Amino acid sequence: MNVETLINLLLAGITLGAVYLLMAMGLTLVYGVTKVFNYAQGSFFSWGGYLAWYLSVGYLNWNYWIVIPITVLALFLFGMLFEKAIVLPLRRFPGWDFTVIIVTLGCALVLDNLILVTFGPLSKSTPHLAEGTFTFGEFAIAKHDVIMFVVAIAMLGLLGLFLSKTRIGMALRAVSQDNMGARIVGLPVNTLYSLSFGIAAILSAVAAILLAPRTLLYPLVGWTTILKAFVVIVLGGLGNIKGTVIASFALSIVEIFATYLIGGIWGLPIFLILMVAILVFKPKGLFGAW
Amino acid sequence: MVNTLKTMNKSLLAIGAVVVLSILPIFFHSDSYVMNVLMLCLIWGVVAASWDLILGYASVFSFGHLSFFAIGGYTSGLLGVYLGVPPWIGMLIGGIAAAFIGILVGIPCLRLKGMYLAIVTFSIQFVLPTIIVMTGPGMIKSFNSGGTFGLQRIPPPVLFGYTFTKSELVPWYYLTLVLFLVFVYAIYRIIRSPVGLAFIALRDAEPLAKNLGIDEYRYKLLVFGISSFIAGVMGAYYAHYFAMISPATLGLEVFLIVLLMVLFGGLGVFPGAAIGAFVVTLINEALRPLLEWRLVILGAIVIFVMIFMPKGVAGIPELLGQVYRRFLGTKELRKN
Repeated sequence: MNVETLINLLLAGITLGAVYLLMAMGLTLVYGVTKVFNYAQGSFFSWGGYLAWYLSVGYLNWNYWIVIPITVLALFLFGMLFEKAIVLPLRRFPGWDFTVIIVTLGCALVLDNLILVTFGPLSKSTPHLAEGTFTFGEFAIAKHDVIMFVVAIAMLGLLGLFLSKTRIGMALRAVSQDNMGARIVGLPVNTLYSLSFGIAAILSAVAAILLAPRTLLYPLVGWTTILKAFVVIVLGGLGNIKGTVIASFALSIVEIFATYLIGGIWGLPIFLILMVAILVFKPKGLFGAW
Repeated sequence: MVNTLKTMNKSLLAIGAVVVLSILPIFFHSDSYVMNVLMLCLIWGVVAASWDLILGYASVFSFGHLSFFAIGGYTSGLLGVYLGVPPWIGMLIGGIAAAFIGILVGIPCLRLKGMYLAIVTFSIQFVLPTIIVMTGPGMIKSFNSGGTFGLQRIPPPVLFGYTFTKSELVPWYYLTLVLFLVFVYAIYRIIRSPVGLAFIALRDAEPLAKNLGIDEYRYKLLVFGISSFIAGVMGAYYAHYFAMISPATLGLEVFLIVLLMVLFGGLGVFPGAAIGAFVVTLINEALRPLLEWRLVILGAIVIFVMIFMPKGVAGIPELLGQVYRRFLGTKELRKN
């Protein structure tokens, strides 16, 4: 393997890692605020991708730059509604943490198969955000990949600013640190629960728009993505931002190299085998944060 | 007195159920579709009951139970197809392989907290199909798993010189029924044994149980092994019965269907999961004409059962009572 291939693979790994990070952050945010582990987030991803496809190249042929904000907004509303309609009513049950896992799994089954029913089993592709490549002497990188990385990192930066600077963001963090305390000082906790789901849905939609041109869309596409985000979270630690960032880049680089060396289908297995192997030695994840 | 009556009632019910199950072929022996569905009920009943052992009694969120089913099926199937190992020995080896891997998975996983355990075991189930597909025709020539289409032509079992064939389903049915009864009884004995009592203690009064010196980790590992063994043997039996096993067993669909069986029966309520298997298999078959919509509806049923029937079928009287009190009860009160 020469230097150019090495650099190209590293770049591909890093751009992929940025997108996994979006998904993992969505899961972490929702878990932090609501203590719910949302198995249906993969379906948010799929629906985001399919909606963008439907509105643009699929049927309606709208301008892609109009489609993107519409998709993101639609997913935001869907995420909020999902929490209000399905997760919130479960909270009064004893042992609801188990109930909510199964219910979100059930929702994933419903949402994924609705995709199959509506759009059929054939895979779809959304447009690249920019055509062509940047070339720097010996090696080249697709413009779309650059956009992927920049947008993903910008989204995370925005999320960070939102959480640390705005009043709503601070309220979200307050709920995640001390639910009871947040209630006592009069924060609208139930609304904040929905908001966190909405934000996670936005992150999923953006991830889908960025990733779909590279991996294509098929009814179970959300599962592949969400499982990778699971691994990132297990290794990085739920709620451990630094751990999540490191884990997602490390794992995506490993995935890209494994794909290059032994074939594309091994991406996910390598992820999971690594996860189990690491958990044997470090049962609390890479950083022992939980 | 009341207690003896209760146990008597229960044993009467159990005997009644066995009698009904054993005379069913008299009515349906000519209808191969119904016989197939009945056998599926019995097979999945055992798998669901073994899953309930770990999910409901040991309260371990193990979501990878079907991996052990598949491991048993593939082990026995590969041994039968390539090495000519007799199915009975294959089933035993399949069960042992599943138990071995179950314990191997359990060792790191049981140290994890509930949520993480669910993620990790669930992920293991999702990685297996890829590994199975990869050890298919393209990669391994002489000992391959059959890839996406599954391992085909798995030999049927032979008993006292009689070879079970697909043209005669009644012997198959009784064989399945015997396996079902043996395993369900075994699970019942496990629940009633000190091991089972230790679990119930851990589930219902964890601090006290731990103070009494119950070693949670060891017991949970033990049940991981036992339930994986049962799932593995049933997986092997399933493979020999259908003469094939494919990675589709590990998909989200089968996963949620079997989970739904456990939920329908109520978590940690003994014969519940086995009964749930009958209910869910029949619902699943009834939904087949709806084609792709079947899975959408099944998912909706999962959500419905979790929200409205948290105790499964056993909770139905209570649910009806609530509905009654809410919509009719108040009127009666007013009349009085």
